[in-house]
Amino acid sequence: MSPTVSKKKCIDCDSLQHHKCLAEKTVKLSNYKPGEKGKIVQICGDPDFRLRIMEMGFIKGTEIAVVKYAPLNDPMEFVIRGYHITLRKKQAAHILMNEPELAA
Amino acid sequence: MKQKIVVALAGNPNAGKTTIFNALTGARQHVGNWPGVTVEKKEGTLKHSGQEIHVVDLPGTYSLTAYSLEEIIARNFIVDSSPDLVINVVDASNLERNLYLSVQLLEMGCKLVVALNMIDVARGRGAIIDETLLSSLLGVPVVPTNGKKGVGLDSLVEKVISEVENPELIERDVRLTYGSEVEDELYKIQNLLAHTDYSSRGSQRWLAVKLLEGDSEIIKKIDGLDHREKILEQVSKSRSHLNGIFGDNPEIVLADARYGFISGAIKQTVQVERTNRVNLSETIDKVLTNRLLGPLILLAVLYCVYIFTFNGSAPFVKHFDSFFSWLGENVSTILPEGLLKSLVVSGIIKGVGGVLGFTPLIAFMFFAIAILEDTGYMTRIAFMLDRVLRGFGLHGASMLALMVSGGIAGGCAVPGIMATRTMKEPKERLVTILVAPLMNCGAKLPVYALLIGAFFPGDRASIMFVLTIISWGMALFAGRVIRSTVLSGPSAPFVLELPPYRVPTFRGLLIHTWERTWMYVKKAGTIILAVSILIWALMTFPGLTSEQRAIFQDKQDKLLSNFIKDPVVSIVLKDQEDLNSFEGFESEKTKNHAEKLTDFLKSRNLSHEPQKDADLSIDFQQVNLPVALKYAQYKLEKLRLENEEQSARLKNTIAGRVGSHLEWVFKPIGFDWKTNVALLGGFAAKEVVVSTLGTAYSMGSIEREQYSNLSEQLKNEPGWNPLMAFTLIMFVMLYAPCFVTLVVIRRETGRWRWTIFAMVYTTLLAYCVALIVKTTGTFFGIGLT
Ligand SMILES: Nc1nc2c(ncn2[C@@H]2O[C@H](COP(=O)(O)OP(=O)(O)O)[C@@H](O)[C@H]2O)c(=O)[nH]1
Ligand SMILES: [Mg+2]
Repeated sequence: MSPTVSKKKCIDCDSLQHHKCLAEKTVKLSNYKPGEKGKIVQICGDPDFRLRIMEMGFIKGTEIAVVKYAPLNDPMEFVIRGYHITLRKKQAAHILMNEPELAA
Repeated sequence: MKQKIVVALAGNPNAGKTTIFNALTGARQHVGNWPGVTVEKKEGTLKHSGQEIHVVDLPGTYSLTAYSLEEIIARNFIVDSSPDLVINVVDASNLERNLYLSVQLLEMGCKLVVALNMIDVARGRGAIIDETLLSSLLGVPVVPTNGKKGVGLDSLVEKVISEVENPELIERDVRLTYGSEVEDELYKIQNLLAHTDYSSRGSQRWLAVKLLEGDSEIIKKIDGLDHREKILEQVSKSRSHLNGIFGDNPEIVLADARYGFISGAIKQTVQVERTNRVNLSETIDKVLTNRLLGPLILLAVLYCVYIFTFNGSAPFVKHFDSFFSWLGENVSTILPEGLLKSLVVSGIIKGVGGVLGFTPLIAFMFFAIAILEDTGYMTRIAFMLDRVLRGFGLHGASMLALMVSGGIAGGCAVPGIMATRTMKEPKERLVTILVAPLMNCGAKLPVYALLIGAFFPGDRASIMFVLTIISWGMALFAGRVIRSTVLSGPSAPFVLELPPYRVPTFRGLLIHTWERTWMYVKKAGTIILAVSILIWALMTFPGLTSEQRAIFQDKQDKLLSNFIKDPVVSIVLKDQEDLNSFEGFESEKTKNHAEKLTDFLKSRNLSHEPQKDADLSIDFQQVNLPVALKYAQYKLEKLRLENEEQSARLKNTIAGRVGSHLEWVFKPIGFDWKTNVALLGGFAAKEVVVSTLGTAYSMGSIEREQYSNLSEQLKNEPGWNPLMAFTLIMFVMLYAPCFVTLVVIRRETGRWRWTIFAMVYTTLLAYCVALIVKTTGTFFGIGLT
């Protein structure tokens, strides 16, 4: 598949060389609301960022629950693999998720 | 038995490494920096049943890729210094992510013991961990510990010793493998490596994995190797091959596989009995980072840190100060008048006093910061403020540094810059360090007070408020400009763990405070002493030539002889001897010269040859009033002469000459040599601007209580008007940081380059702003009268 085609959907995504961009069929993590949870479908963004958060446990299929947004609506806080972590919304937008459901 | 075992502590941030390190080594520890960088390095020793163990606390890392400085340091230490064993401190309540590092350590092939720390927290959450099974899955000993209470540390140490002496062979049930495709490529690379002379530090498998992951640091490592080209060729072939199969880079595939292995291990070893207890930490966090309450609490906390740092340390600072002025006075009386005395008192004692004077401040600040860090609130500050500060190239944690530096007027940039030690992002940290000196530190306040008192007497509060706003504005503006020019480039991804709130241990707080404070005293102290002597010399030499001094002496002599020859005076004080004994005379009620004179003459009359002065004794009551008046005049004139001499002397020092030579530079903003030399003096400490102005304007030495004199004088000087005063205020706010701050900048950035940059850009900024103020003011005719 040609990277130029997929890059139309998701700008600044280096990881698309070998991936189908799933942006249209998924929900960006940055669009989750507090109290919602879901599973990771794909992680885009530059390689450094992808590797870093994958090392922190953001692997395809892992469940993420959004805890809250910071007072100024950015960054946001999640629970993943039992610990709390914060990402800026711009970064969270690189994490593509399935449809959210309400966390217990 | 080995002479000395070297053990490294590795683990995720907040896993409890430092707590365990402190518990193991107690007071026998030493803090420094890793060579060439400003990351803290802690080392210590302990003795256990006769065995000496040297422990190194590695920086906390989530992984061992070359992602951050911390990771490179930790990795290089393990590979290059090859410790006898690595203790991997693992947070049992957050096992999955923590084991990611363990898996990498295993891969490196180093001897490992896992400390299953925070076991109390994990159990409290209802998690039961099968340690034996975990140990056999990983193939290394696992010891449950509670670092805070010290539980399990003895067995940890025993395990470490026995592992080094005679390693226990643990049958590994499962090996971490990456699937046949990856393993095939690894095998190819390893094969090539086997044929090189690489003195296999770190296992070959690990090297192969890192090469396959495209790790740039490791690729540098094989630089001089025989088959380098061949190896790299194979690596890139393997990478593209795997890329084709998995549709992703190998490093991502490997990370995925490691987590897969870990998930499997967790499923087998951890049982969670879901006790649906309310999580206390999360409840606290709901309040502390609440949309409305959060920012308010944050401001309150920052304010408390500020108050604690400055008010809490005030009594100690005062004691230090009074000790040093006591010392200065005593030494003054012992040493004879002259250069040596000036050097010891004004140069050395003042310099050392200056350094140590900061110490209580720094200690209190580090204590407050230790509380914020150890409780976990620090990360919440970053969380809440990130949005506001990132646009200016700063980080949430910069807020604290800026507040301490003088965000609330009266701070100090020295502890402020040291506060950036808590920041992990190198660029954001550097920007914070560079803009911190723009804040209104306590030493600038006397200068403001002097000028506001003279030219804006009614608006003290509002002007101070405006100055606070301006300094914040300048710092943020400078941050933004620096970040987008000198320090441009992408910022580190903001991936920040928010650890659960914890109650810190007092011991831990004290150790933290002590080691950071001590580092300041030790490293900064020597340089600061040297620079204070240098500044003293600049403001002392060469001074007046002997001819010039003779002229002043001549004037003094003339003044004296005129005074004594005065017909009224000569009745009671016949010669200089009389005058000297009068001045040396101590009377109980010397409220004024007249009373003193009366007492003096009385005592003389009684004790010395009363018959000779008999006629005088009758009417000296009437004479002494005019004499006292004359005496007061004489004293005043004498002081004026002395001050004039001081001013001339100052003009003739190196600093004074530089000030004079720089007049053409500062003319556009209206500064003459007197202001220039005062600003040069401010390099020692900003409050010196006031006293140097005093000397330059022939006011003698200015103490805090005597501002009004200098204020009055400045008001009447030609060229001084409210506009000039405000221009000078702006210049003092922004220009080069004092040298103590510069020394600290050097220490914290590790580079002279940035130190010089800090000095130059602030001064340029100050000059430009002053010029704008001056020109605008002149143009619109504001503040000219
Ligand atoms: N409950 C509990 N708290 C611990 C334990 N070990 C450390 N802590 C706390 O965890 C926090 C972080 O520990 P620290 O040693 O600074 O972690 P480091 O970042 O790995 O050096 C501190 O507040 C410690 O008091 C433990 O075993 N149990
Ligand atoms: Mg630590």
